[in-house]
Amino acid sequence: MHLYMNIRRRNDLDALQQDETYDAVIVGSGPSGAILALELCQAGKRVLMLEAATETGKGFDGYQSLLTRFYSRVGKDNQSPFPVNPNALMPRGSELRKLASGETNSDSYIVQSGPYVSDTVYTRAFGGTSMHWEAKTPRMLREDFKTRTTFAQGLDWPLSYEDIEPDYRRVEREMGVAGEVEDHDGLDLSFPPGYVFPMHGLPLSYLDQQVGKGIDGSSVVLDGQTYPIKVRPYPQARNGVPNDKYDGGEGFTPQGAVASYQIDQGGRCQGNTNCVPLCPVQAKYHSGKTLAKAFATGRLDLLSQAVASKVSIDGATGLVSEIEVKVYHDPDHSAHRTIKVKAKIFILAANAIETPRLLLASGLKSSSGLVGRNLMDHAYLLNWALLPEVAGTFRGTSCTGGIVDLRAGSFRRNQAAFAVDIHNDGWGWATGSPFSDLQQLVDQRNMFGAELQKGLVDRLSRQLLLAFMIEVMPNESNRITVDPSYTDALGNMRPVLSMTIPDYTMRGAAYARQFARTIFSRLGAQDCTAYDPGDYGLVPYHGENYAIRGGNHLAGTHVMGTAKNNSVVDRDQRSWDHSNLYLVGGGSMPTIGTANVTPTLAALAYRSARAILRQLDGQTTAPSGLS
Amino acid sequence: MMPTSAIQDLHELYDYLDAAIQLEHATLPPYLVALYSVHPGTNPDAVQILRVVAVEEMLHLTIAANVLNAVGGKPDLNAPGFVPAYPTHLPSGETDFEVGTGAFTPAALETFLKIERPGMSGRGARQLIAKARNRSGSFLGRHPRDSGWSYYSIGDFYNAIRDGLRTLEEEARKSGGTIFTGEPSRQVTSEYYYSGGGKLRAVTDLDSALAALELVIEQGEGEDHGIWSGDGELSHYYRFQQLQLGRYYEPGDMEPGRPTGAEIKIDWDAVYPVKPNIKLSDFPPKSELLGVAKAFNDAYRRFLDLLTQSYNGRPELLLEAVPFMFSFRNMVNELIRNPLPGGGNAAPTFEV
Amino acid sequence: MVDDQRFQTFLELSEAITGFGRVRLLGTGQAELYFATAERVVGHAIMDELLTAFADLPTRTPELLRLHLFGNEMLGDVVRNLVKLWFGGVWYQLPAIWQQAYGPAAEDGTFIPSPDAYVEGLMWVAIGAHPAGAKAPGFASWAVAPQIPLS
Ligand SMILES: Cc1cc2nc3c(=O)[nH]c(=O)nc-3n(C[C@H](O)[C@H](O)[C@H](O)COP(=O)(O)OP(=O)(O)OC[C@H]3O[C@@H](n4cnc5c(N)ncnc54)[C@H](O)[C@@H]3O)c2cc1C
Ligand code: SF4
Repeated sequence: MHLYMNIRRRNDLDALQQDETYDAVIVGSGPSGAILALELCQAGKRVLMLEAATETGKGFDGYQSLLTRFYSRVGKDNQSPFPVNPNALMPRGSELRKLASGETNSDSYIVQSGPYVSDTVYTRAFGGTSMHWEAKTPRMLREDFKTRTTFAQGLDWPLSYEDIEPDYRRVEREMGVAGEVEDHDGLDLSFPPGYVFPMHGLPLSYLDQQVGKGIDGSSVVLDGQTYPIKVRPYPQARNGVPNDKYDGGEGFTPQGAVASYQIDQGGRCQGNTNCVPLCPVQAKYHSGKTLAKAFATGRLDLLSQAVASKVSIDGATGLVSEIEVKVYHDPDHSAHRTIKVKAKIFILAANAIETPRLLLASGLKSSSGLVGRNLMDHAYLLNWALLPEVAGTFRGTSCTGGIVDLRAGSFRRNQAAFAVDIHNDGWGWATGSPFSDLQQLVDQRNMFGAELQKGLVDRLSRQLLLAFMIEVMPNESNRITVDPSYTDALGNMRPVLSMTIPDYTMRGAAYARQFARTIFSRLGAQDCTAYDPGDYGLVPYHGENYAIRGGNHLAGTHVMGTAKNNSVVDRDQRSWDHSNLYLVGGGSMPTIGTANVTPTLAALAYRSARAILRQLDGQTTAPSGLS
Repeated sequence: MMPTSAIQDLHELYDYLDAAIQLEHATLPPYLVALYSVHPGTNPDAVQILRVVAVEEMLHLTIAANVLNAVGGKPDLNAPGFVPAYPTHLPSGETDFEVGTGAFTPAALETFLKIERPGMSGRGARQLIAKARNRSGSFLGRHPRDSGWSYYSIGDFYNAIRDGLRTLEEEARKSGGTIFTGEPSRQVTSEYYYSGGGKLRAVTDLDSALAALELVIEQGEGEDHGIWSGDGELSHYYRFQQLQLGRYYEPGDMEPGRPTGAEIKIDWDAVYPVKPNIKLSDFPPKSELLGVAKAFNDAYRRFLDLLTQSYNGRPELLLEAVPFMFSFRNMVNELIRNPLPGGGNAAPTFEV
Repeated sequence: MVDDQRFQTFLELSEAITGFGRVRLLGTGQAELYFATAERVVGHAIMDELLTAFADLPTRTPELLRLHLFGNEMLGDVVRNLVKLWFGGVWYQLPAIWQQAYGPAAEDGTFIPSPDAYVEGLMWVAIGAHPAGAKAPGFASWAVAPQIPLS
């Protein structure tokens, strides 16, 4: 079924300023904001959502215009479908350059200083970063929630896997996850008896199968332990074959595309191999699907082109009194009007960079001083090779399978764990394939005609890219700050990012490189990995250079904990300092393990929704510690 | 004498259901050729609507196969003459229109509206309308035992099947039996095929059979001839009408012919001038283009083969049929963009 | 050459340098656009030289194409660009040295002539795949071996 998107829009700014009837204001329309909106609206609450970006993409035609824009871009980087909006900028890989130690690049939206430059991105668009996320949806492992206790690394969560498990299931329903419980065999996590995912797992790609043939059943030894390895499918939030056994035999109805009129799209994934940056048929979950249902309650209002610019605190009560919002008419002009909006509860869901940016720009560092600190993001190390035989690369979803056997283990005392993705889109991420290959074959190898056709098969259809997603532990010096000298068109301070890749992660990276070489040799593949010394993400480690890519899995910047002095929010993501303020999103996560962060941050959103409803209904007043 | 619409026995029911499968399929080629005749990147609204309707015809085809299977029949999409020679007649009281393959034009749209037009059911035997003469090539929606009679609309035709199912099942029950003797494993369910509108449920008894056919009727012409079907989907007739009226219906619109949604613009020039009802004999002999047209027909035959197998106990094959459909879309596009020496552009001929 | 004849020669040239037949090339719906694009960038005169050089070849063997087209100082970069245009849907900026010698080509630059040019790139056909984000091959199609035309 497709979903009607009938947006209730507020254009009456004067009346809005006077409006005191909202139960909650939510900043941001990504998955976090959308889930909160739906849960609160379904419980009968009135909600105002502020979105910095335009509404393009909310309806079918707008969505199509993003697609056409993507087709037309020569540089198809992962933000290419989204036009530049100076009033609500977003990071773009194309703005980055290599920086010497201490050198600063303030031409990019996120201001960074060398030597390490992160190319992490997020999207400021209606639907947030879920417009171009890849939609891989692994859960975190049980041991990921207590790494301090178990491995003397990172921080323990004030929650356990068991606390969060029911909310993972809610996320899997809302996002329509395709997966199989059996594919989690041997991993340190569990499902209730008889549980199945809403949809059957997506089949492994032919490429995955070729890799599997070469390595399944073999093993590696690390830190004295033997780890059997195999290729297995990832759970993913994209429409596949619904599982009849879901929900005690009720089955599952997949959610199609959103539109303001009747269309038929968003059925089964068609293998467009374009999940990032934009699924052309909306088979992939994006938060618009959740928002469509929230709008249908009639209790959600949207104010778009509205950049939250300041959170104001009432000095006497310590409560948030209002949020200042800059509302602009035209993305290309900075003319705007500043208004103030009020509600009983304020929810910041602007993601782990924009939420701390907004807090810091409002002068709110929190009692613990931890706002903006502990910034985490997975460190990606790419390894690429040519398989001996044609493997049909460049088909399927961006990634269907990988190797997850080294997500857990006692080695985590010394070095980071990782999960490995097999990329169905070839070397694209590492080298700009297939366009770079085409240029090379024609311009340098002087191929044309039938010879070129064969050359392309030889060069492209054998490509194998292993992307290692390596864990990064919280570290207070990795952080987001603001600086009045760096502002955007509306005068809002831009985020300043300082990040170094910790040795713990680099030990994992060095092992990852070794692991990749082992896999390649088992496959008889030609290792073509080479890190460009001019790469802006280059990290030297023990005499070798590694190009570390950003992972887009941002977290940690308003960390959750047991008390006001060791954290920014409690385990319901409620601010310790301001009891009507919730900071919702990856920023609350104390660790990220080796799971893409969205299922976990979305699970936390359900938890917060319940806490907010309790608070609105007068059942709680104090933040919840480890009581 | 006017034959009664009631289906007399199981064999007549099989004939009707065979005709239903044939009917659902016969609308596909016209919709597909019109769909792919549109220049890429243009006319998004028309493309979208044609696509939806075509996808739902596939659903209807599968539902008809499910019902036939449920009563112990055997769907066969490879039977000689299964694919009509276009132009052909569809159900119509006065043979007032023919359906063919060709470009997306105002006339084609007019025809599509006629295909999906609401029926006259509920007026007893009058749903059967005398035809002066049933011209050759017309077999669809006719009274399978009497080629001189035909139904006014597809909906009327399906209602006759529904009546027949009821009557025959009632009779069977009197003697302690049932007509629903089909093997349940031959049913194709949503696990193997789903699209935007309408769930595919197994047909195992009278209720599920009636419900399945009701979905077909509603998706075609609306619930009780209204704009919307029971589950809030716009019926095909009104989807096409949106293109004619230049405006979308919105939820809440109840009055036929008065949509209040977003505007639709159609660029009739952004369409390849496909030669209507093209045949292999229209292609230059021995040409590369003829080769592609033949290759398409081969692929199409294999597709019908795959469907036949899916509907005969191997529902999982439908998953394979889908990529197949996607791959011949590329062939259709290729044909349609190639001009023919004698004027007009090529297209698939569907001579399987 | 008269216009239609020039276009026909362009099509024949395109067949020779891509290895794909005329039906497939016309089937992309991009042939006229590519012809117009290349001519707009390099100018009518250079396009004429290219077409004439091609039409004058006694046979269209790879050796002669190399010698007279790909190996020609002026025409080489232009035909290579045509190959990349057909396979990738992208017109790549000509080398600076070409500009100096045979320019100015004011409209030169790296660009995609139309959104469909990207979608219709022949590279995807050659490897039995499809352009990312278009011409989706259908659910689960990725689980079986690719169908590669030249194998
Ligand atoms: C290329 C890529 C691939 C990814 N793949 C995966 C994956 O496979 N699996 C996975 O789990 N995760 C993945 N992610 C991460 C995932 O997208 C994010 O974790 C998720 O979107 C976070 O949701 P959120 O709602 O917290 O924030 P976002 O989705 O970032 O939404 C924040 C919203 O807030 C708005 N906003 C920001 N500032 C303001 C302001 N001042 N005022 C008003 N509105 C504001 C933004 O415009 C945006 O709409 C990927 C990310 C990227 C970039
Ligand atoms: S593979 Fe294609 S259809 Fe499937 S989710 Fe990705 S982009 Fe969408």
